[in-house]
Amino acid sequence: MSTYSDASSVSAPVPRALRRAGFSGVVPALAFVAIFFIVPVAALLLRSVLEPVPGFGNYAELLGSATYLKIFANTFIVSGLVTAISLLIGFPVAWALAIMPGRLASVIFAILLLSMWTNLLARTYAWMVLLQRTGLINKMLMGMGLINQPLPLVNNLTGVTIGMTYIMLPFIILPLYGVIKKIDPAILQAAALCGASRRQCLTRVLLPLAVPGMAAGALLVFVMSLGYFVTPSLLGGTANMMLAELIAQFVQSLVNWGMGGAAALVLLVVTLSLYVVQLRFFGSQNTGGR
Amino acid sequence: MKHTFAFTALAAIMALAIPAKAETLVFSSWGGTTQDAQKAAWANPYTEKTGLQVMQDGPTDYGKLKAMVEANQVTWDVVDVEGDYAAQAGKNGLLEKLDFSVIDKSKLDPRFVTDYSVGSFYYSFVIGCNADAVTACPKTWADLFDTAKFPGKRTFYKWSAPGVIEAALLADGVAADKLYPLDLDRAFKKLDTIKSEIIWWSGGAQSQQLLASAEAPFGSLWNGRMTALAKSGVNAETSWEQNITAADSLVVPKGAPNLEAAMKFIALATSAEPQAALAKATGYAPINLESAKLMDAETAKTLPDQQTASQVNADMSYWAKNRDAIGERWYAWQAK
Repeated sequence: MSTYSDASSVSAPVPRALRRAGFSGVVPALAFVAIFFIVPVAALLLRSVLEPVPGFGNYAELLGSATYLKIFANTFIVSGLVTAISLLIGFPVAWALAIMPGRLASVIFAILLLSMWTNLLARTYAWMVLLQRTGLINKMLMGMGLINQPLPLVNNLTGVTIGMTYIMLPFIILPLYGVIKKIDPAILQAAALCGASRRQCLTRVLLPLAVPGMAAGALLVFVMSLGYFVTPSLLGGTANMMLAELIAQFVQSLVNWGMGGAAALVLLVVTLSLYVVQLRFFGSQNTGGR
Repeated sequence: MKHTFAFTALAAIMALAIPAKAETLVFSSWGGTTQDAQKAAWANPYTEKTGLQVMQDGPTDYGKLKAMVEANQVTWDVVDVEGDYAAQAGKNGLLEKLDFSVIDKSKLDPRFVTDYSVGSFYYSFVIGCNADAVTACPKTWADLFDTAKFPGKRTFYKWSAPGVIEAALLADGVAADKLYPLDLDRAFKKLDTIKSEIIWWSGGAQSQQLLASAEAPFGSLWNGRMTALAKSGVNAETSWEQNITAADSLVVPKGAPNLEAAMKFIALATSAEPQAALAKATGYAPINLESAKLMDAETAKTLPDQQTASQVNADMSYWAKNRDAIGERWYAWQAK
């Protein structure tokens, strides 16, 4: 990422033939994206202003209804919670990975990646089995005498948050690891030598240096959470419905594509604006997190 | 050079694909054990009889069906849909009219026959209960809505479809023959009283899991799922009191590529023997009135068509007319 932006900022004159060759290489990829992504999305968005009658009626209905606004709020609350908890859990893990011996780290990486590669539906069902009232966790807690009544851990906000955080963790650990690994250990040693306490080393040296990785990971997790479907649908209750589920209902069940398109556009606009904000504050070179 | 090769390859694939397509028929259903049974009871005999292959696809998705018809790119020939959707889609011009010179409708239960659809099988929403998990099982819809007498979580079908609203009204004391037009305000008010105690099931397997694990020890389930639960060794009790019937339907999307074959497939699927075979495998009732004779007494007892005395018929034509309006209210209420 950084090499790319350096090269373009220097903007050395590229020979025309070379430039044309580079461009024609990109054409198939651009055409692919245009045909299979941009055109269908544009068609759905067009429906949002054309169906059932031309105009902005769908948007008025979507943004004027307390129910739909609540679904928007749910989406942001869940995504925010998941991002915050992922960050809290992910940071120490990424840090530990960066400083532990290579062999141990690669074992932990393997575990992380394996969990990412396991079927999402299977993992979500596994959480359902663990969290339900008659599930392993409740049975264990009751067996240990810690609780008398099973805790409501699933079909509610708790269930969605646990399930989604678990699924999102690798997406925050990996970019954070990349950034922390790049921090020169000599800087921390220097800070310690200059009399910084361990706490000061963390809060005034390590954390600020890791901010780009945190921002990149948090954005990734937040944006992915906004559009999440399977896990909230299975682990949440109907009261914590999220936007993706609403869109699916409009498209598949109610066959109301106007409203579905409108909801999809709102989600797209929110996602893009978040990305723009991220680029503005942290710059493109920091989102790579190698 | 590369391009020529790609085009030749593409042409060759297309040349191979076209005759192959003419000899196959694509059937879409909901997956799971029901589609397995449909394959065994309908598709295999059809292939034996006609030599035509039946490709299985799914799950059925109304958005996808509409997109196929609108784009004139229909890949499904016969689709298993819910009865209320079939009635609505027929009206909206998404379906082919069925050819009743090929399909013999004289033996079919007239409740489930329209110009555009015939029943696939019919089922009932019954009151299911895990008898090992509770001291007493609810017997009526009123019981199921009575959280004082029957405390605990109960499970209901998550999607907007005939069944739950009817159950709420019956529980509130509406007479079975006075259900339609549905009094939605009254139904949602009744549902409000148990909303915090409801765990929604979105697919049949989930309803079984909820009941078997006693996560929700009772609720409203498809009768076939209760039969399967009982077979699997769960102490599952079914109350047929005011069981609410609805049917799946077989339809042909407008512009289906193998129209003639589709009609023949539906004719076979709705004939007496394949209907009986499907009923044996799934616990759902046949819609062919002559199938009952072919059933063994043990299986017949567990089917909705033996429970007509206490049966409440969901009104598909009412649902077809009001499906969208009810759906919007339903989801808004759920999300509240």
